[in-house]
Amino acid sequence: MTDPKTLWAAVSRAALNWKLLVPLAVALELFNRLSPASSSTLLTEVAILALFATSLNLLMSFGHMVSFGHAAYFGLGAYGFTLAVTRGGLAPEMALLVGPLAAALGGLVFGALCVRLTEIYFAMLTLACAQITYTVLFQWYDVTGGDTGITGFMIPRLGLSETGYASLVLGLVALALLALWMIVKSPLGLMIRAVGQDRARAEALGLAARRVQLVAFVIAAFFAGIAGTLYAVLHGSAFPDYAGLGLTLDGLIMVVLGGLNSFAGGIWGAVIYEMLSNFVPKFIHQWELVLGLLLLGICLAMPHGFAGLLARLGWRGGKGEK
Amino acid sequence: MILIQLVNGLMEGMTLFLIASGLTLIFGVTRIINFAHGSLFMLGAFVTYELVPLIGPGTLWGFFAAVLLAGLAVSLLGMLFEMLALRRIYGADGLMQLIVTVALVLILRDVVRMIWGPNSLSVPMPDRLMGALQIGDSYFPLFPIAVFLAGLVVVVAMIWVIYFTRAGILLRAGTDDRGMVALCGVNERLIFTAVFAAGAFLAGLAGGLAAPYGEVNHLLDTTVIVSAFIVCVIGGLGNLYGALAGALLVGLTKAIGVMYFPRLSMVLIFLIMALILIARSMGRQGGTAR
Repeated sequence: MTDPKTLWAAVSRAALNWKLLVPLAVALELFNRLSPASSSTLLTEVAILALFATSLNLLMSFGHMVSFGHAAYFGLGAYGFTLAVTRGGLAPEMALLVGPLAAALGGLVFGALCVRLTEIYFAMLTLACAQITYTVLFQWYDVTGGDTGITGFMIPRLGLSETGYASLVLGLVALALLALWMIVKSPLGLMIRAVGQDRARAEALGLAARRVQLVAFVIAAFFAGIAGTLYAVLHGSAFPDYAGLGLTLDGLIMVVLGGLNSFAGGIWGAVIYEMLSNFVPKFIHQWELVLGLLLLGICLAMPHGFAGLLARLGWRGGKGEK
Repeated sequence: MILIQLVNGLMEGMTLFLIASGLTLIFGVTRIINFAHGSLFMLGAFVTYELVPLIGPGTLWGFFAAVLLAGLAVSLLGMLFEMLALRRIYGADGLMQLIVTVALVLILRDVVRMIWGPNSLSVPMPDRLMGALQIGDSYFPLFPIAVFLAGLVVVVAMIWVIYFTRAGILLRAGTDDRGMVALCGVNERLIFTAVFAAGAFLAGLAGGLAAPYGEVNHLLDTTVIVSAFIVCVIGGLGNLYGALAGALLVGLTKAIGVMYFPRLSMVLIFLIMALILIARSMGRQGGTAR
């Protein structure tokens, strides 16, 4: 794919709706430029979480692998970046590459173990792996700083203004989402979906199911690592909670809120979730209670989430492949 | 020192077994992983905290009566949850069912925080279990021994119910082949509700029993559910004896590992689990539920 022509062919084969996406990107950037700094930060967080949720969605919607420990790779990305700066002495700009690679490496190690199992056992083992990551980050004081995390090692946002960093993150997240979309559309994506939909048949066709799943797992970990790195840069800090069960659940909730079995589900979910989590607590103190009830209602009434609802209303932009 | 940790490990193993067995029973029949099982445990501990001063503070029977009542209360809640929410989506994707139980986790955590606040509470130990038992030159704390024995009683009762009563026959039949049980004219829904109630009862009971030996707070739910999951993975979901072995293994490893690797005892447990998983998935198709 080095030849720009084949690259362009691949992008257009991915059948992106450019007429819709370009105005959307322009609108987001305009909003970013015109609004106060606080909403730029909110925008940055939404974009980062959208990438995180979409990386999880790659596993869930397409590979049918429910990971209960995806935050581990977000955390590994954040800590990989942070430790490369504090311990490795790299410049923050260079360390940006270390975070995602650390996450991918973690994904390779844990993934190799997890893909030996299927369905609920897979979910449980990913959860255990993530809790181990969390425990190590939380308790290994000498290196990770334990529960106080690592702070003050760099200028937050690489010295950029809130607005400038938001533009950077929006651009990077857009590229990452595009890459994920192309992976879904590529032969590799087809393999991931084949194994997810009918493992026995995929194996009969000669696919090495475990290897395909491992590749999907590492890819998802890598993109979660990008999200984690960007998040660590945004706040100039890393905390064990970045790898905690809470964030994993947030990611799962986003995917379910946004809608399973659709690529846009993770993005919608992150937007809705962030909006709710920012505005609900201003009115009601019990945010988790509200979220739980909302989730319960969605699962019982609308099992295909928000994107599914849009699709049912005839809006095809967010419709997934199934 | 090692003997005391041994006793503590046995107690923790027994509580873990009570939780994991409920998880396993529910999974066996309904194919649902109840992510809220740790929350039910936590609720059992809080209800015990409320009931102990009411029934008989400091007395032995007061404590155990409170624990039993807490178990029943949690069981009632589990039953309601099954009937109002889970029952509607048995046909749906497995993930949806998992998410519904996650929703219950969120709801219960906030409810607990609303009622009992965010600070840790402590439940008084019965006076008679405060001391230690002297055997030869070594002392064993009484309370963990009592909890272990109480757990043993529950285990025996559970085995009796499962293997020697009609309810147990239905439970085992439901685990083997749901459809066939329904075809035989048994009300399948009743089995589901009953199993969920029983699992919730066990979780509530475990929460009550363990309450005096640690802090009771709203963060218990996730720590407990992770340990229970590890137990289930080691023992094999749906396998009661596996859960017992796994729970004791995890409990003892945790308690004794703390002495040698105070910070990494969880990592040790994880390594054991990984080894068992690798060893087991060599032969069979790795760990697919039976």
